[in-house]
Amino acid sequence: MKIQYKNILKQGRLAYLVLVLTFFTFSCDDLAELNVDPTKSSPENFDPNFFLSSSQANYLGATTGYSGPILFQSGWVQILASTSTLGANYYSNMDKYVPSTNTANYQQGGWNNGYRSATLANQILFDTEGKTGFENLRAVAKIMIILNMQHITDVYGDIPYTEALQAAAGLTQPVYDTQEALYQALLKDLDAAVSSLDVSKKGPTADLMYNGDVAKWKKFGYSLMLRMAMRLVKASPATAKTYAEKAAAGGTFASAADDAFIKYDNTNGYTNGNAGPLNTASDFYEVRWSKTIIDYLKTKNDPRLGLIAEVPQDGFAANNNAALSGNSTPANQLGLPNGFDIAGGATDISTSPGFPGATGSGSDATKIGKYSRPTAIYRNVNAPAFILTYAESELLLAEAVVRGFTVSGTSASHYSNALRGALAGMAPFGASAAIDAATVNAYVTANPLDVSSQANSLKMINEQYWATTGLLFNFVEAWNNWKRSGHPVLTPVKFTGNFSNGAIPRRQPYPTGEAGQNGDAYTKAVTRLPGGDQWTSRVWWDAN
Amino acid sequence: MNRSLRLQIRICLILVLGLFVTGAFAQGTVKGTVTSKTDGLPLPGVNILVKGRTVGTVTEVDGRFSLQVSPGETLTLSYTGFATQEVQVTNQTELNIVLVEDVLTMQEAVITALGISKESRKLGYAVSTINGDQLNKARETNVALSLQGTAPGVTVRGTNGGPGGTAQVLLRGMPSMNSGGSPLYVINGIPMDNTQRGSAGEWGGGDNGDGIGNLNPDDIESMTILKGQSASALYGARASNGVILITTKKGKKNDFSVEYNTNYMTDNAMNLTDFQYEYGQGLLGVKPVDANSALSSTRMSWGPKLDGSSTPQFDGKSYPYSAQRDNIKNFYRTGSSFTNTVSVSKGNESGSFRLSASNLSNQSMVPNSGLERKTFNFSLDQKITKKLSVTAVANYVDEKADNRSYLSDGPMNANNILFLATNVNENILAPGFDASKNGAEVRWSDDEYVSNPYFVTNQFENDHSRRRMISSFMARYDVTSWLYAQARVGYDLSNDKSFNVTPWGTAYQTRPDGSGSMGQSQTQRSELNIEGILGANKKITDELTIDALIGGNIRKNESESVGVGGSFFTLPYVYTLSNLSQRSGGDYGFSKQGVHSGFYSVDFSYKNFLTVNTTGRYDDYSTLYSLINPEKQTGIFTPSVSTSFLFSELGNFGKLSFGKIRASFAQTSGELGDPYQTSLYYNLDRSFNGRPMGTFPGTAPNSTLNPFTLTEIEIGTELKFFQNRLGFDLAWFNRTTKNEIMRANFSPAAGFTGGFVGTGSTENTGIELQVKGVIVRTANFEWNATLNYTNVSNKIISTDLNNTNLQLGSNRATLGNAITAFVPGLAGPQIMAYDYKRSNGQIVVDASGIPVRGDLIPMGSVLPNQYGGLMNQLTYKGFNLAFLIDYSFGNKVLSATEHYSIARGLNKITLEGRDGITNGVIESGTPNTVSAPAQLYYRAVAQQITSSSVVDGDFIKFRQLTLGYQIQGSKLGKLPFQSIQLSLVGRNLAILMRKADNIDPESSFGSNLRYYGIEGTGLPSARSIGLNLNFKFK
Repeated sequence: MKIQYKNILKQGRLAYLVLVLTFFTFSCDDLAELNVDPTKSSPENFDPNFFLSSSQANYLGATTGYSGPILFQSGWVQILASTSTLGANYYSNMDKYVPSTNTANYQQGGWNNGYRSATLANQILFDTEGKTGFENLRAVAKIMIILNMQHITDVYGDIPYTEALQAAAGLTQPVYDTQEALYQALLKDLDAAVSSLDVSKKGPTADLMYNGDVAKWKKFGYSLMLRMAMRLVKASPATAKTYAEKAAAGGTFASAADDAFIKYDNTNGYTNGNAGPLNTASDFYEVRWSKTIIDYLKTKNDPRLGLIAEVPQDGFAANNNAALSGNSTPANQLGLPNGFDIAGGATDISTSPGFPGATGSGSDATKIGKYSRPTAIYRNVNAPAFILTYAESELLLAEAVVRGFTVSGTSASHYSNALRGALAGMAPFGASAAIDAATVNAYVTANPLDVSSQANSLKMINEQYWATTGLLFNFVEAWNNWKRSGHPVLTPVKFTGNFSNGAIPRRQPYPTGEAGQNGDAYTKAVTRLPGGDQWTSRVWWDAN
Repeated sequence: MNRSLRLQIRICLILVLGLFVTGAFAQGTVKGTVTSKTDGLPLPGVNILVKGRTVGTVTEVDGRFSLQVSPGETLTLSYTGFATQEVQVTNQTELNIVLVEDVLTMQEAVITALGISKESRKLGYAVSTINGDQLNKARETNVALSLQGTAPGVTVRGTNGGPGGTAQVLLRGMPSMNSGGSPLYVINGIPMDNTQRGSAGEWGGGDNGDGIGNLNPDDIESMTILKGQSASALYGARASNGVILITTKKGKKNDFSVEYNTNYMTDNAMNLTDFQYEYGQGLLGVKPVDANSALSSTRMSWGPKLDGSSTPQFDGKSYPYSAQRDNIKNFYRTGSSFTNTVSVSKGNESGSFRLSASNLSNQSMVPNSGLERKTFNFSLDQKITKKLSVTAVANYVDEKADNRSYLSDGPMNANNILFLATNVNENILAPGFDASKNGAEVRWSDDEYVSNPYFVTNQFENDHSRRRMISSFMARYDVTSWLYAQARVGYDLSNDKSFNVTPWGTAYQTRPDGSGSMGQSQTQRSELNIEGILGANKKITDELTIDALIGGNIRKNESESVGVGGSFFTLPYVYTLSNLSQRSGGDYGFSKQGVHSGFYSVDFSYKNFLTVNTTGRYDDYSTLYSLINPEKQTGIFTPSVSTSFLFSELGNFGKLSFGKIRASFAQTSGELGDPYQTSLYYNLDRSFNGRPMGTFPGTAPNSTLNPFTLTEIEIGTELKFFQNRLGFDLAWFNRTTKNEIMRANFSPAAGFTGGFVGTGSTENTGIELQVKGVIVRTANFEWNATLNYTNVSNKIISTDLNNTNLQLGSNRATLGNAITAFVPGLAGPQIMAYDYKRSNGQIVVDASGIPVRGDLIPMGSVLPNQYGGLMNQLTYKGFNLAFLIDYSFGNKVLSATEHYSIARGLNKITLEGRDGITNGVIESGTPNTVSAPAQLYYRAVAQQITSSSVVDGDFIKFRQLTLGYQIQGSKLGKLPFQSIQLSLVGRNLAILMRKADNIDPESSFGSNLRYYGIEGTGLPSARSIGLNLNFKFK
């Protein structure tokens, strides 16, 4: 067989062309340029401060709204209640511990948003590593990470920390730290971060919380340390004492002016995470204050009652009309008991003890017309979301004194400071939420701390903590403190088909993706959980 | 113009012009006529090739031809439907050649990769060709949907998204995990852009169509399906899912023709539900007592038995409490598609052209929704000199879709009408808005996130338009009789616009500062391909012929988009940005990517029975380049070798008239697909209280990715018996991917929610069989049948670094509680759902008698493993009848309809225990004695025990019917027509068998692999019937 390629190759021009073609085809510098995104910034040209604002916004994502809190903790600790029958059926999660279609999705909101917030803060650390001029930014970024970690671990239990946030370096299946080890590590890291804050150096720039005020960050850091320490009073009293004293000595919040909150910016698409839901028609109609908290405020003659609650005008149509304000006379307020519906059966609200009757008549009748709903301050799309307040730190200090920790001041003085802080702390909701000095003084005078026994003091302090955080819609904090302190004493709802065996949930199960994406670590964490990955399992510090 | 582009063009010019080698043959002109043995009539368009050379011609209308040949050379005549014949030229100048009819033509020419025509007997791999005639009578608005059931190894699914939706085509199962599965479409040798424009997911959205759907079936001459890797190896990465080659119609030589085609099809919604109509609207056994309680139960059939009594509705009026079975029929209208195409073509000695214009006017079954599409197709072939010829093809598409339906979720999805309580008449929802309240939505059910269907059809706007030009230019220069150079440039440019308004007054989007929202966007997308080829076809010895080519290709894809929008209109009905209280700012999207490739192909043909082909291709991918890691591999060489052996040429095998064995081994490579994934980029989001908001993607960059490979082995045989009246084509293949690049999901605790990894591996093994036969053949009557059967088994070998399950999609109903996923060791995508908790086989219930959830278990793949079709074609004189029955078995469907119908008391299984269910055992294993209310029991079954939403996907369908009559020639008398053809046509006429009680098992809302086999709240399936009329003018 005679093959005649040679004749082909002899043609010089052809060989030349093939070579040129080959050379051209395999030339690659052009392709490398093609894979550089011209519309984005490289890390070298970026100001790491800009991740602080995003981290803070994502933290709010974890602590407000449909990503969990308003559908879970708000009702578990009986701040809100809902008949959850019509479009608002997803409120069955909070009111009755009964799952709805998207429960698995809500369940992971705190985790996903919290870790995203921490990731953004962590990028600041990554990009400023070894660089000068970013000392305070780095410290604040660390505090943001710790803030998120505390939020996530308090909700879920053991979580990744030491191996977390390192996917870019290839670590995609981080082990879960035990909550006990985690708390120790977080407190140590927080101490280091707060100590490194230096008011003489430049503050962070894109700071939604304190606008770069390093002194305030320092107070925030110590207040956070105090809150973390006090979580451990049952599980590790020694650690609690050490760090509570360290925090008090370092200097916690001095007044409500130090309160950590962020006002939303609706025009740019940042809508208050709780206002969003409450402006939804079904939610607006069926979400009311719980009987438990309204009764508490009434008993104490709390001046906040007239700001936060209103009874809608009569009738179904008026109850559904957000433009019509209700009657906010404190004496008229009536909380909705948790655990009822408007489905007409055995659990219909009309069967509840003390049912006040419907308002409206005929097709305009509504059985929930006499129950108090949150006022318009909570539906303001630019309303603030609260992170940590002076009232909380003072209540925690009061408790520290009661528990015999070495902190300055008396429990009574810290308590009255807390009441003042709590009332003043409503002001960020707007002019209509400001309370005048005379009213504040009268309330503080009328409600001194009961120091007759440690138990009485603790009850009073922690009930106030629950009410104060609850009225600021900081539901997760109210719930955490309830788990820790046992106050207020709550009666669980027992409803058919609930996910927690008729008990108030004490944690959220891990996101359903964890078993698949981080299986080994997840399984190990679950075996450590008493009772497994359940809504009723207790996290480490939630000791009996 | 960048540097390499200039260089490439220069190269092409050189390729075209710079090579000039003269050939030397002593030639004379041979003329002749080709006729058919059957009727003695002349045959126009017969391909005549001079054996061993690339010279040839085509017969004219009168069957005449003339050709320059030398005495002693052999002419090969091929013509579809006739046996190929060889004639040796002696010293005659006039040849009269008679061709014999052969339905199972064994040596038909097929278009292969790069648009090269080859004799099918030489191919070492399986190829299927679909004639344009099969696509343009019983039409689909997306022409790719017409491929269903027509060839082995092909599965096609549309979305239940209305006209102009996506066609999901899978060749040989799911080729790889990351691919999305869609094959590469190549039109006239140039790859086209088939990007999906938006698709519905669990959170709703609409299907905005794909690229292939823009084509007018009247312009398509044929579609050739290259399923195997060796068939498509010359196309590189995007061919890893197979290739569909589209050849558009061209003018024929020495022919002038004017053709007009009109087609009218109607679509009618099929009610495929088998719901209960014993019990009516209500909650917990109680029927509505007033408007309020009616509003809370419009979609709940947990009331008492239907008794015809007067019952209040949410509108304040009362209606009989009796079954309303015609809601689907009454809500949806009869849809229609009216297509008119006119074409003119002319050819002469030196070239030909064809120009066509077409208009499609479609009305969807959903009121106020439809599609208008205008297409223009122009093709030109011209010989410039004896050696230089050029071809230009341009295809212009102007498409406008009004109010494309939203699917899947509740907001703005009119299809939620499907779940009305059994006694609620759909017409009481009309018109869905309150004129006295500026047109605000009238609430109709418990959940405002489920929009009033009439409000949606009357007020919602979701418009998409596209202007697209697909053009290609080719120049070919025949250097000598055996050597040619060819350059080709293809450019596919499209502009998409969308306008979307959630109207003022929409219930779920109403706040004190306004209501509704809008979005407006424009996207420009392009694909440029430049290709140069140098080819040779030479007889080396009497026995050995070599057919070889070498070439290079540059591909560049670009897209750029601008979007604006926001929420909460202050004024009703004014849908402009300035009327919004919350602006979401402008979004700008940009991407660019490219591939540089070089390739070769060599065919060695020994005598007339053995052909060995080898190809190789080197691809260098821009998406794999990394600034951080500049030294890494971004290019890859992939080879293929295939062989075809016609053993029947070596002896007499009795009844066996044709026998071929073929085998191939091929590799193709794959890339990342998305640009800019190898580095981390930062950007700014909208500012928050004036402070910049820095952000970066949740997907971790990966700077270490390399190209991945697909390796396929294919063995097959073609056997024909009884003078080719019965034929078998059998193929076995095994395909494995290695180091597949795919998106892995990470725990958010790792800092990123996912990232690209190069660790995937998928395996597909299958058998494809086609049996063709002439069942009856008489003078006037003929009956041909073709049966296709495919059996594919898919296995996910490995996924990400830790071989975890990779989650894909879910539906809104079973969100997070039932998903599809790639599960190592199982066929993908696998439905994972929660089963009952069981104790000794008994269902475990809790203290309230409600079933308890058990484990998350695999329920089966959403992809069928056995499928195919049976095509019958009968002709009797001027009549022809063709019908297609297709079938698909072995898959499961995750059905939202099943979920909703159980949770809402519509499903027949909920008839059991309406007065209370006492079922199962309690945790300890002792029988349960507590009676649970039916509504709560079944709600838990639907929500918690999601295996209840998984149904069997098996079906047999009566897919297509055409009954035609053709009048031609003298019968038309003095009419100005050459022929008139009238066809009655039907598509999706009946489901002959299905196992799912309440759905069409092919239904899906999503248009990509992620949502494959997930059903729910889309348009009902439609039965289409219509009429096609074709006039060919004299």
